Amino acid sequence: MKKLFKLTLAVIAMVLFTSAQTMAQRTVSGTITDSAGEALIGANVLEKGTTNGTITDLDGSYSLTVATGATLVFSFTGYTDQEVVVGNSGVINIALDEGELLDEIVVTGYGSQRSKEVTSAVESISEEEFNKGPINDPAQLLQGKVAGLQVYNRGGDPNASSTIRLRGISTVGANVQPLVVIDGIVGASLDNVDPNDIAEISVLKDGSAAAIYGSRGSSGVILVTTKSGSDGAVKISYNGQLTTSSPVNGVQSMSASEFVAAGGTDLANSTNWLDEVTRSGMTQIHNISASGGAGNTNYRISANLRGVDGILKNSGFDQFNTRLAFNTKTLNDKLKIAFTTSFTNRDQQFGFQEALRYAVTYNPSAPIFGADAPFDFNSARFGGYFESGGFDNFNPVSIIEQNINNGERREFNYGATLDYSLTDNLTITGRIAQQNVSLNTVQYYPTTSLFRGNATSPIRKGSASLYDQQNSFDLYEAYGTYLGSTDAIDFTLTAGYSFQENNFFDNFLSLGDFPNNGTDFYNLIETSQDLSLVSNAGLIGAGSNATENDRIIAFFARANVTIGNGIFLNASVRREGATRLGPDNKWGIFPAFGVGVDLNQYLDIASVDLFKVRLGYGETGSLPGQVGLAQDLRAIVNSPDGTVTTQPSRLGNPNLGWESKKETNLGVEFASGRFSSTLDLYNRVISDFILNIGIDAAVNGGFSSQIQNAGQLSTNGLELALNYDVADSPDFGWTTGVILSSYKSTLDEFNIEAPTLRANLGAPGQNATDVVRVAIGEEIGNIWGPVFAGVDADGAIMFEDVNGDGTLKTDQGQALEDDADFAVLGNGIPDLELGWTNQITVGDWQINAFFRGAFGHSLVNTFRAFYEPRIASQSNYNYVNTSLSNPDVTSARFSSLYVEKADFFKLDNLTVSRSFDVSGSSAFESVALSLNVRNPFVITSYTGTDPEPSLVDTGASANGDGGGGSDVLAPGLDRRNNYFSSRAITFGVNVNF
Amino acid sequence: MMNKISILLTLLFSVLMVMSCTDLEENLVGEVTEDISIPGFVVPQVNAPSPGGQLAGAFGRLRDGSAGHFGYYSVQELPTDEMVIGAKGGDWFDGGILIQLHQHTFDPTHPMLENTYNQAYGGINACNELLAGGLDANGEAQIRALRAYFYYRLVDLFGNVKIVTQPGVDAPQSSRADVFAFIESELLASLGITEVSAGMDLSGSALGTSSSEYRMNRYGALGILAKLYLNAEVYTGTAMYEKADAAASYIIDSGVYSLCGAGCAVENLGKRSDVPSDPDMLEGYAAVFAPNNFGNPENIFTIEFAETGGGGMNFSQMNLHYESQFTYNLSDQPWNGYATLEEFYNSYEDGDARKTANFLAGPQTDFSGSAILDFAFDDDNIVLDYTPQLNELAPNYFREAGARPAKFSYKIGGRPDMDNDYPIVRLGDVYLIRGEARARAAGDWNLSLPDVNTVRARAGVSAFSSITADGFLAERGREMFAESSRRTDLVRFGKYNDAWWEKPVSPEHVNIYPIPFNSIQASNGTLSQNPGY
Repeated sequence: MKKLFKLTLAVIAMVLFTSAQTMAQRTVSGTITDSAGEALIGANVLEKGTTNGTITDLDGSYSLTVATGATLVFSFTGYTDQEVVVGNSGVINIALDEGELLDEIVVTGYGSQRSKEVTSAVESISEEEFNKGPINDPAQLLQGKVAGLQVYNRGGDPNASSTIRLRGISTVGANVQPLVVIDGIVGASLDNVDPNDIAEISVLKDGSAAAIYGSRGSSGVILVTTKSGSDGAVKISYNGQLTTSSPVNGVQSMSASEFVAAGGTDLANSTNWLDEVTRSGMTQIHNISASGGAGNTNYRISANLRGVDGILKNSGFDQFNTRLAFNTKTLNDKLKIAFTTSFTNRDQQFGFQEALRYAVTYNPSAPIFGADAPFDFNSARFGGYFESGGFDNFNPVSIIEQNINNGERREFNYGATLDYSLTDNLTITGRIAQQNVSLNTVQYYPTTSLFRGNATSPIRKGSASLYDQQNSFDLYEAYGTYLGSTDAIDFTLTAGYSFQENNFFDNFLSLGDFPNNGTDFYNLIETSQDLSLVSNAGLIGAGSNATENDRIIAFFARANVTIGNGIFLNASVRREGATRLGPDNKWGIFPAFGVGVDLNQYLDIASVDLFKVRLGYGETGSLPGQVGLAQDLRAIVNSPDGTVTTQPSRLGNPNLGWESKKETNLGVEFASGRFSSTLDLYNRVISDFILNIGIDAAVNGGFSSQIQNAGQLSTNGLELALNYDVADSPDFGWTTGVILSSYKSTLDEFNIEAPTLRANLGAPGQNATDVVRVAIGEEIGNIWGPVFAGVDADGAIMFEDVNGDGTLKTDQGQALEDDADFAVLGNGIPDLELGWTNQITVGDWQINAFFRGAFGHSLVNTFRAFYEPRIASQSNYNYVNTSLSNPDVTSARFSSLYVEKADFFKLDNLTVSRSFDVSGSSAFESVALSLNVRNPFVITSYTGTDPEPSLVDTGASANGDGGGGSDVLAPGLDRRNNYFSSRAITFGVNVNF
Repeated sequence: MMNKISILLTLLFSVLMVMSCTDLEENLVGEVTEDISIPGFVVPQVNAPSPGGQLAGAFGRLRDGSAGHFGYYSVQELPTDEMVIGAKGGDWFDGGILIQLHQHTFDPTHPMLENTYNQAYGGINACNELLAGGLDANGEAQIRALRAYFYYRLVDLFGNVKIVTQPGVDAPQSSRADVFAFIESELLASLGITEVSAGMDLSGSALGTSSSEYRMNRYGALGILAKLYLNAEVYTGTAMYEKADAAASYIIDSGVYSLCGAGCAVENLGKRSDVPSDPDMLEGYAAVFAPNNFGNPENIFTIEFAETGGGGMNFSQMNLHYESQFTYNLSDQPWNGYATLEEFYNSYEDGDARKTANFLAGPQTDFSGSAILDFAFDDDNIVLDYTPQLNELAPNYFREAGARPAKFSYKIGGRPDMDNDYPIVRLGDVYLIRGEARARAAGDWNLSLPDVNTVRARAGVSAFSSITADGFLAERGREMFAESSRRTDLVRFGKYNDAWWEKPVSPEHVNIYPIPFNSIQASNGTLSQNPGY
């Protein structure tokens, strides 16, 4: 890709050259090379303080007539500027050093800019700065690296994608994950990129940068640049990693003896259920790539193999991924063709996270197998396993050993980009890309599984379900780029058209009642009694969904203007329409404007290398998460009498329109010597946010809710990045960097005027217990409940008289009354998030230590809320037994007792590596070995499994049901269906041939 | 130069615009967006098929909440002295909403009230849509009477509600008396009369006389009217007992329906083949509510439930202990929720056919007749034993405490959705309405004795020679158990605010439920709250 930029800039420079006027008295010439002596084509040569300049030709040579005694500035993108006073010699040869941050190229969407020209909050992270270790999800490369970017995978389930949030809540409606653009392909999926193939990731943080992407940019934009080939002989590189991971933080519950002593039902055994369902997971990652090129063509091809075993038994995946990047130029270099394709096949063993949860709560004195029961137990019915029955209570070992929950995901992408230079100034670009994803999942619960297998059902045992999903995404884009300049102004104009279309289809089949218990369930499906008995009508589940022609269409234009190399202006506008919205509200306009000033250019303060101030404003939109919300839906009613009618099943909202986000960002960049820093302050206002809102059922046909543009939310935040080179001698180098971010979101307007509650705790026994308060004028994320004040002599829970009025109103149903004794018990959103990187070099040794923390947030520890109270009638469930347990609490009532501060500081990632230069002595060019530890230690007082903030609520789940929601207005719940976190130790080897 | 650029850009854009597609019409290929009606094939059912047609959807709305958890059934039964859900540790505490119902401390945010309110308006909307679309005279009369029934539920529960008669068109909130008047006039219109009286002539009614019990005929509409008049004093302050008597008498005197007594029997679908003590047939009272109760001579207007295509009756799940799954070989594990209050259970004398039909009590046995063991026991008894005695409401209600409702009896191999049809109007109820109306009209409870003793005779218990108001209420309770009648009855008898087990005396304003909080919020000021909340 870098080549491409060089060429683009060469064009710009040529423009400069042709328009520059000559008014000098002396001719200087020479060549400009990089530090390795290779010619730099299109490098800039400028007479300082004037607009007189030129660029180097194909040999890196230049010639320029200048005033006597002038100073020449040599510059090239990606290299450090050099200034030389013209002396007597007419020849000045320059070697530019690479890698100075000031002139980094930043990919900004439909083009790129030099970093100093950027007027918005954009951050680029290159390969060297990525997180290390067994990373399966590209988002985790960035965890803690970009101020304001939150990447959390609570517990670290290898099959779960990370939750990515940019600056907290950026949309309420949907599309809460940032837009991902891979090599220019909008809307691409991170799942199909192997982390090993990524060269650089840019994050467009604010609205002015993201507005060029319109509706899909509201949650931020992540631009991924994959590695490409370079000229020269074939280079082969191998990366290998071997990881062992083990669980670190389970939920503490009682041992068998503690449990029996506490009054639990004694079943005469002793089982550590967590040990029984977890293991040390082994992960292998292999990446091999070959790259090279000749003439106008280069390529890179890579293959990645991953075998991941989760810490939960029978969970993990095997993945094969391959990627090809091919670039060529033709027609006198006027036409450039870039082609990428990738394919991923992932065989997934999802396993059953529920086993972790039931391991916490299952009777520790119960045996694994029925034969060990202290009484006569019919274990044949359960495949030999013991089951004690009761609500939401399943033998965890039986769950993972008897049942199957697998899937296979195949993803095939391709993209081709054609650039044609119509003139020296004008390039047109066409892009076509397609992404095809197919997913098949199978679940099988044999006739002897109590968990979802109906083992106790005498008439219909066992169940199986099959699910197939096909998704194809097409992208067509065309745009033109014009580079122009006048005396003091350089400008780039871009304008184009974008067409995105998604087509989705899925179908499922579920049935049960199997005659026997083979594990070859594909064959068993045809033996399902559901298929053969008419009386079982209605027990077979089957269905399909199709969403066709789900489109987003846009026209966009942008101007980037640089005045006198010190003042930078950017403006863009995008007009975009989407099928998902109401007929009259399909189109929206998203403008953006930014200005930046390189103050150093004008103030010229000694010892200050960079002092830039920038201000950006941009609008983006957001679409509802589902199609069809503007239309009424009806459900077919198959009456028992054979009549088919329909009845309304969803009230559409024909007025549904864009959710819009207006964001203003003020940034200051400062660098002096070894110190550099960036400060960003922002304000964002999300208006017309899309949410399901209560409506008057009387007028709306019994429907009590409808998706509406329902309110306004604003966020103020601050991000600070500080970097310091503590030491940079050849023997010892130490670079350290701290990023800090903080934000607060407030609900400004809402269609519902009175406060409401969200996030129901759920069964058993805590339905109608909503614990997060949402109210106009209040912060998002407030956890709302009564305040625990101890236990009285009879064992009843006492609550505080919060408002001191002498009466207690602590029933959940009174939570919103004016005189209720409820209080804000915490907030789910951190006050401050911290990332601290350290790179230490000692000779050939390199140490990377990355610390991460979040402070000020709380979590509702639902494990404790449900299972910590010593309820006499729950004596067959194990009791959660943390340091906060109060054995006197004998009934389950949500209160402040279960809301914990979850501040944490952890050593996230520690890598020690050593490289060996063996080029002289073997077939290898270089060899590097590394040892990485993920999650070596965490400092927190939180008693749950993971103190990471929970930014989105998945909803309650009980008795084998999954959660599956995603409520961004209810952060702060640590639900029972989370994976448990692990520690991983990785040995890595990198060999270059 | 700039000229050249603009020409080029213009050209480029022209090309783009021509090429570019801007079609954004949304076509939902995977959904039904318009009403359709297809004559279908008949699915084999335990119950006989009923006439369907375009009215099926509106009548189907009756299933919402009428025999499941969290709707009309729950809010009619749980605040009374006949049913309760105890908090079993954390299980069934649910933020206190069940205790609130039992102790009458519910408030406007109670989710069951909101659900009940929404479901009633869902039914009303289905009726309004049909009426707006045009129906034949009989269809229109049926749907107007059905809509009146949904409003009867609302006037009884919430009192002051909006009378919405057209889809999507708002209406002002009406007083309870005005809602009463609307229901009365709609029912009278569908019956083709202006007043209910002893010698009334229904020949002008567009309603039929012999249509299926799943649809509205003259007797069904009259039965609803009789219930309305019986409660008129509560709703409007004006007693209308003579009219209640006239409506009920018309039904009884027509001779179309008869009480299901000796010889009126159906196959016992709950019989376990290995358990000889399980009867082969269900006879009399028990047959009226059996899974195969369609066509019972006592049924006048019922809600059609079916395990396939007519779901919504979940009593086996709601009432039974987890382990009772093994008694009936139920396809799903029950939830262990609803039970009967001890005093209510004990109000039945031994030998009352309704006692055995209405409850499961005592030690439970599995499909083969062996005792069911419960390893998660909490009352020192490993055998699953439904003790009529309840230990405490919360927090540690014993999981096997309480006789369990079994009136709508369970069939072997039952699914979460049951087959039993649920009566809205049945002849046994009509007898008691007539008896009560006559007694109240004359101020002499003994005038109810003929009708009371008719019902008692069918239950196999001896006739009363005299009766008081309290005695009548108790008899009505025994007969109408689990038929969503108790709350209305207690209010009418002035007993709803009395203290009973784990329930203190409650204030009078709770006799009308609060308008749901969310509806008031969403109504832009067009709904105001009932007094006292």
